[in-house]
Amino acid sequence: MRNKFKLLVAAAAVVALSLTGCAASGGGEADKPFKVIAFTSGNQTPVGAWWVKAVTAKAKELGWDLTMIQGDFDFQKMNPAVESAIGQGADVILDGYTDYASIGSIVSAAKDAGIPIFAMDSGTEPTDAFVSNVTTDQQGIVDSTVEALSTELGGLKGKNVMIIGHDPHPGIRMRAGLAEEAFKAAGANIAGGEIQKVQSPATGRTEALALVADYLAANPNGLDAVWVGWDDAALGASKALAEAGSSAKVTGVDATSEAIAEITAGGNFLATIEQPWPAILDTVIGYIVTYQKDGTLPSTNFETVGTTLVNKVNAAKITPSDKL
Amino acid sequence: MTTTNAPARAGQAIGRMLLQGGTVVALLLLIIFFFAMRPDIFLTFVNVKNILYQVSILAIIAGAQTVVMVVGDFDLSVGATSSLAGAVAGAQMIGGAPIWQAISVALLVGLIVGLVNGVLIAYLNLTAFVATLATMTSVVGFAFLVTEGTTLFNFPAEFNELGQGKFLNIPIPVYFALVISVIIWAVLKFTTIGRSWHAIGGNVEVSRLSGVNVRRARLLAFTVAGLVSAIGGILLAARLGSASAVQGSDNMMFSVAAVFLGMTVIKSGMANLGGTMIGVGIIGVMSNGLNILGVNAYIQQVVTGIIIILAVTLSGLKTRER
Repeated sequence: MRNKFKLLVAAAAVVALSLTGCAASGGGEADKPFKVIAFTSGNQTPVGAWWVKAVTAKAKELGWDLTMIQGDFDFQKMNPAVESAIGQGADVILDGYTDYASIGSIVSAAKDAGIPIFAMDSGTEPTDAFVSNVTTDQQGIVDSTVEALSTELGGLKGKNVMIIGHDPHPGIRMRAGLAEEAFKAAGANIAGGEIQKVQSPATGRTEALALVADYLAANPNGLDAVWVGWDDAALGASKALAEAGSSAKVTGVDATSEAIAEITAGGNFLATIEQPWPAILDTVIGYIVTYQKDGTLPSTNFETVGTTLVNKVNAAKITPSDKL
Repeated sequence: MTTTNAPARAGQAIGRMLLQGGTVVALLLLIIFFFAMRPDIFLTFVNVKNILYQVSILAIIAGAQTVVMVVGDFDLSVGATSSLAGAVAGAQMIGGAPIWQAISVALLVGLIVGLVNGVLIAYLNLTAFVATLATMTSVVGFAFLVTEGTTLFNFPAEFNELGQGKFLNIPIPVYFALVISVIIWAVLKFTTIGRSWHAIGGNVEVSRLSGVNVRRARLLAFTVAGLVSAIGGILLAARLGSASAVQGSDNMMFSVAAVFLGMTVIKSGMANLGGTMIGVGIIGVMSNGLNILGVNAYIQQVVTGIIIILAVTLSGLKTRER
């Protein structure tokens, strides 16, 4: 009788413990694989294309049941596809390079279903939309590029600097604004009196080329530097300066192979910024694995990491962002 | 009686003149306006060269668009075709192909896209809108496949010279634009196929009854448009020293705008190459002038749209008058 009672208590304890385990884990029943919905709108960019491949490989390695949705910058197509996947159930959602402002309906659907969204580079400010968003330090990017130009030009006081940005991209918009503040604080003149805006990333290079060429036609020798929010447009600015015979310097952001080649060649392109996307992805995947194990969420929903200035000195050691 | 009617007649004459030459007058007014705002800069050799350089690729692609619009159709895929051609040429050269081969393959790709458009529209009776929208979508996809989503660069210096070199201090693409424009103008004006295209654009049924092979002529128009767009794309890749899947994508919209602007130039209100070049000139002068005056890019976009609306309205009035 006593043995029967002990057996009953032991069985009850096992059941209770297993139930506790289920409740504490992040999801994914023991017999079912951990289900992840990953999406990105930027899959047609080199970094976005790398992200799709990298996440797919990680999911395979970790045994996740992955649904990968590629949005082609078309939110009308992507958002319903993600919401539909949410409707079929998932343990977590992973957002790559898609600003929370564009995915309000996905955030609502995920909240209703009780599924946490982990993100990387999906906004420049903390938001309740994500349990975690790891991105790069925009202020750090501005500090290092502005300092590189200052060093090259022997200070920025009285220097004419053009800033080229693109407002629809939150990261570029934020860093262009921060750059404007930094140049003004250092006593530089902002060419054209305000940030020059490129309308479409697809034509960023030709737009930046025309902006700088036209500005130099109106103001010969009127530029000491051009600060650009991303490499493709920076390459257009650099070409315009070279064609006009200007010695003004350009900085960009992204560390594309073409920008690195220009920096190495020693022309107008002075420096760019490497953003550590593989390390950031590892961090985010680590958070998801922890959540999968015991349901622990990251302690903060917004995190920024440092970047590396790429100049002639270290260019050879950098892996270009389009060759990740 | 005569005295009373004279001012009215004069007003009508001025109105008719403005209607007839509205686009030319607009171009002249823009030049005068920007010259008055920046007399030290606007008409200098350096700046005029800048404008010509900036519009040279658009002029070529607008030439392609003119051919199909003369026939009464339009081609939404010209920008995508030019991007694909540039990407194909770039990928070939990076793969080690000689320049002549890379350019030939890229031209062939443009020709094939044009041919597909022509078959869909002339023989399978799809509307130009649906057919070229569909091919544009597929062509952009092909361009992404060719470039693998990246920007191709590191082309041979001789190739880049096609887009960046100068002859008599004028950029080479300007000469290309000039030569291609003259060829298209001559074909439209002096050849049988050019007259057939005009006839089809005027009235398809009458052309058919007059013995014009409408299907073959439309097929040829789209094929030429594909080929000429490819030339534009190859030159753009050489001009930038790089090629991406979407580079120059704005050329489609601006080429249609340039042709519409040009349609107001001649009495018939039909697409014509001279008018298209004036349209290209307006777009180039406006963009350069507004940049020189430091006008915000978003305002520039609004102004461009308004100018296109005005041009299309003028063109519509003219057609009604006809």
